[in-house]
Amino acid sequence: MFLNIILNQFYSFIPFAFLIFACLGNLFGQASEQEINESELLSLLQSLAVDDDEVRANVITSLAKSGDPQLERFFELYRQGSVYNWPDESGEVRIVVNEETVMDDDFNEFAPLFEPINGKPFLVDGKQAKPDLLDLEDISPGRKIRTLVNSSKFLLRLFSKDQEVRSSGVKKCGDPPFLHEAVPFLKEIIDDPSVDEKMRWLSKESISLIRFSGKLKGENSLTDRINALKDLGELNSLRANARIKNFQNELDESLASRTITAEEKGKFDDEIARVTRVLESHNDTVELAGNLFRGFSYGSVLILMALGLAITFGLMGVINMAHGELMMIGAYVTYEVQMYFGHTPDTPIDSYYFAALPMAFLVSALVGLIMEGVVVRHLYNRPLESLLATWGVGLLLIQLIRIRYGDNIGVNSPTWARGGYEIAQDIILPYARLYLIGLCVAAVSFVYFILRRTRQGMLIRATMQNRDMARSLGVRTRNVDRFTFALGSGIAGVAGYGWTIIGGVTPDMGQTNFIVDSFLVVVTGGVGELAGVLFSGLGIGVLSKAIEPMEFGDFVVGPVWGKVLLLVFIVAFIQFRPSGLFAPKGRLADKK
Amino acid sequence: MKPVAQQLVESKRSLVLLAILGFFILPFLYSIDVLSIGQINMIGRYMTFAILALGLDLLWGYVGILSLCQCTFFCLGAYAMGMHLAHHGGPEGIIDANGWKLPACLFVVYPYDVGESSGDALVPFFWKPFWNLPLTILLGLLIPAICSFVLGYFVFRSRVRGVYFAILSQAIAVAGWLVFCRNDVKLCGTNGLTRFDVIAPAESLTTFHPEDAKDQWIASHDGDMGQDLNEDGKLDQLDYSMAEVGFSLSEPNVQLSLYLLTLACLFGSFFLCKWIVNSRLGRVLIAIRDDESTLNFFGYKPHQYKIFAFCIAAALAGLAGMLYIPQMKIITPSNMEAVRSVLVVVWVAVGGRGTLRGAILGALTVNLLYNYLTSEHDYGLFSWSPDYWPIFLGVAFVLVVLYLPNGLIEVVDRFRARFGNNSNSNPIEKV
Repeated sequence: MFLNIILNQFYSFIPFAFLIFACLGNLFGQASEQEINESELLSLLQSLAVDDDEVRANVITSLAKSGDPQLERFFELYRQGSVYNWPDESGEVRIVVNEETVMDDDFNEFAPLFEPINGKPFLVDGKQAKPDLLDLEDISPGRKIRTLVNSSKFLLRLFSKDQEVRSSGVKKCGDPPFLHEAVPFLKEIIDDPSVDEKMRWLSKESISLIRFSGKLKGENSLTDRINALKDLGELNSLRANARIKNFQNELDESLASRTITAEEKGKFDDEIARVTRVLESHNDTVELAGNLFRGFSYGSVLILMALGLAITFGLMGVINMAHGELMMIGAYVTYEVQMYFGHTPDTPIDSYYFAALPMAFLVSALVGLIMEGVVVRHLYNRPLESLLATWGVGLLLIQLIRIRYGDNIGVNSPTWARGGYEIAQDIILPYARLYLIGLCVAAVSFVYFILRRTRQGMLIRATMQNRDMARSLGVRTRNVDRFTFALGSGIAGVAGYGWTIIGGVTPDMGQTNFIVDSFLVVVTGGVGELAGVLFSGLGIGVLSKAIEPMEFGDFVVGPVWGKVLLLVFIVAFIQFRPSGLFAPKGRLADKK
Repeated sequence: MKPVAQQLVESKRSLVLLAILGFFILPFLYSIDVLSIGQINMIGRYMTFAILALGLDLLWGYVGILSLCQCTFFCLGAYAMGMHLAHHGGPEGIIDANGWKLPACLFVVYPYDVGESSGDALVPFFWKPFWNLPLTILLGLLIPAICSFVLGYFVFRSRVRGVYFAILSQAIAVAGWLVFCRNDVKLCGTNGLTRFDVIAPAESLTTFHPEDAKDQWIASHDGDMGQDLNEDGKLDQLDYSMAEVGFSLSEPNVQLSLYLLTLACLFGSFFLCKWIVNSRLGRVLIAIRDDESTLNFFGYKPHQYKIFAFCIAAALAGLAGMLYIPQMKIITPSNMEAVRSVLVVVWVAVGGRGTLRGAILGALTVNLLYNYLTSEHDYGLFSWSPDYWPIFLGVAFVLVVLYLPNGLIEVVDRFRARFGNNSNSNPIEKV
């Protein structure tokens, strides 16, 4: 029966796993940044020397459309008036940049020159050119052009080849100060068949936000703005929420200054209330989905942490208080592998993270093996003593690691763990969390496979059910004990490895973060059943994430009181099911 | 089973030894300047730990309940006394709108609501009973006992036992620690209670309210207190309590008295525990440890006895906390971290679980070792660094659990059995 439950659990996770791999595929397949033809841009720049606003405006617009991120700096310099024309002997235009001048002893000002686009020193005969300031021709823009240049800094992003920069640029247009110049370009994006749906949606949202703000010339009457608000409501734009309040204030002012009648305002208010309702229900959906996902992901972390315990505690009856420290060792192995691969945020080598998984498992299993041989084997059937002795071992491990590594180390997550997959509008599932859910599924199936589908697993189950009988049938129970404890320890290492992707790594992370939670999961689930760990892990995860955002009047529950409430809940639960969700039945129940 | 009287005689020698050492030799060494007052103070603190360990030993050694939240109860007592001391603390802090003096430690971390200024801070209602010293002592014993009763009632009734209870109690320790770390519960957050000044000022013995204390003060000065009152009749910032009443905690004689008081309390708790375990009740407690199911079949209700033992242990922990804080002069939530409670178990296990003398021996030995080994020492061949202490403790503890399940007291008894004329075949049976 439990077999079925586990299998059902497992199958229901399969689509999730595919989803994760699909996401990973997307990331790896991303196009590299294209080389932008710099000389083309430079020749465009030449026209800036022409003293004609129309020509200059055209140049700037075409520059902006190139989407080259280097130009952002150039626009800033140009706006400040640090860009000059330095004609050579034949009168040919050379566009250069100079920010600070130097003076010689005779008080002649010289200007060290830089390339306009890439910012490197402007070389003549291999040396940085340093002409007299008076040789430079000022081409700084007029007021009208300056505004254009200023907005071009943002517009530049709309044409970026990097999709992430581009979508953030599109998004930025809809935030204050509402870039109304961008509207035609945003409309182009909407009509462009090559851009993806998300970008198109963002453009629509930004246009509506600009219209709603009343900054768009020709469409700034209150009716136009209300229409824009209607569009925002249809788009389920959460960003509109922040703007509605301002609009209401404006309406109040208009009413006070008698520009609109109370009747008109009433109509507007009805419309606003309708849109607010739409947005609120969307917001509730997003929060519900977010909490549910957070609960699932927290649950998967709990299951990962408790899985090793379910083996050492549930099957073998050993209270391993050093379980958290075995996780810590898994995390430190991940760190060592990262250092060996030379992975840093600047030079990412993502493959290290996959190499670290077997390493974490093996090293923790080895430590577990040694621990079993030295300490734990004397303490089978003495659970309280095993609790104390393993606590001592944990203390030892913590201090050894602290002496070797100090108090804090940085494990840098692989680059693909940043960001998230937007499964529906505004519901973003972080890749790191998805990976953890995948890891949890993989670990559970691995343990399940070993225990139920291999000969070794059969021996484990036989030994744990009736040690004497197993031994009399020729099972080497000592070896089985060693193997089982090492397996549980290895899984703990995997949990620590997984933790590095979401949390910090410190020597005492096992004691502060893991040990109590994972024991609670095992105790609530019932000892000796993997299914119990699955259900109680998910249950506690979802429940605690459901409790945390609750509000009672002024009082928000939050993580601390959430934990206390959860504990009260568990104590209450134990009243009804003293042996946990999945209590062992029959003769097994007598075992302490 | 030997008669109670005989047992008393047998264990008398070590007790008399401890009494002579504690009451006479240490104060004498202090009086001839061999020991500094700081060291006396330190030993006094370690004795409060011994009281804490006694409680746990009663619970774990005799009833077989491993509680990993004893330090939570210790801190409940310590916070009770801490609030009392803070009420009568130094001149910092302000007088709030209700005429209560807002203690300095609370004033600096007061969790104001949005828009509140420092004038709006109020002494929380649950601080107020701790103005009065006798009431504080009563509450310092009752609060841990009541908490343990509620917890024990729900947990033991549903037959949670053994390691399940240990894990559950550790979870409670973590939860308690998280709550006390919160600033908005108005217990000074992670800063803890500090800035104590005097203990047992006259007004804390006779009054329940600072207004009464003020009236009493003014009466004793024939109403000549004009310059110390504000125009609206409230007390000035000038603190009247430290002027001439009460005993300053930084005074060596006060510290020595606190040490002696702690020692007296240690003996008191020892005899209480001894009386319990030697009575018929104690037999039932030991029976619970050895075979609860059988006891159940005899018609006893083990959970009632377990709750009783749990409450006694919690009250002893509260007593230890109350004695600890005037000697330590600070209490922070870090004292209730889960690790601290496990440390208490370590003391008892090292000293000798199931013998009351062992608990005292363990607490004192481990703590004195801790005190010695957490400073640098150069032994010529190798130098000791404080970093090695946890390693030493971990290894020593594992060795004790594996090879010395009855603790150091067993070594002591074997030694005495070999070289003394006092023969003890079964040291575990002894108290």
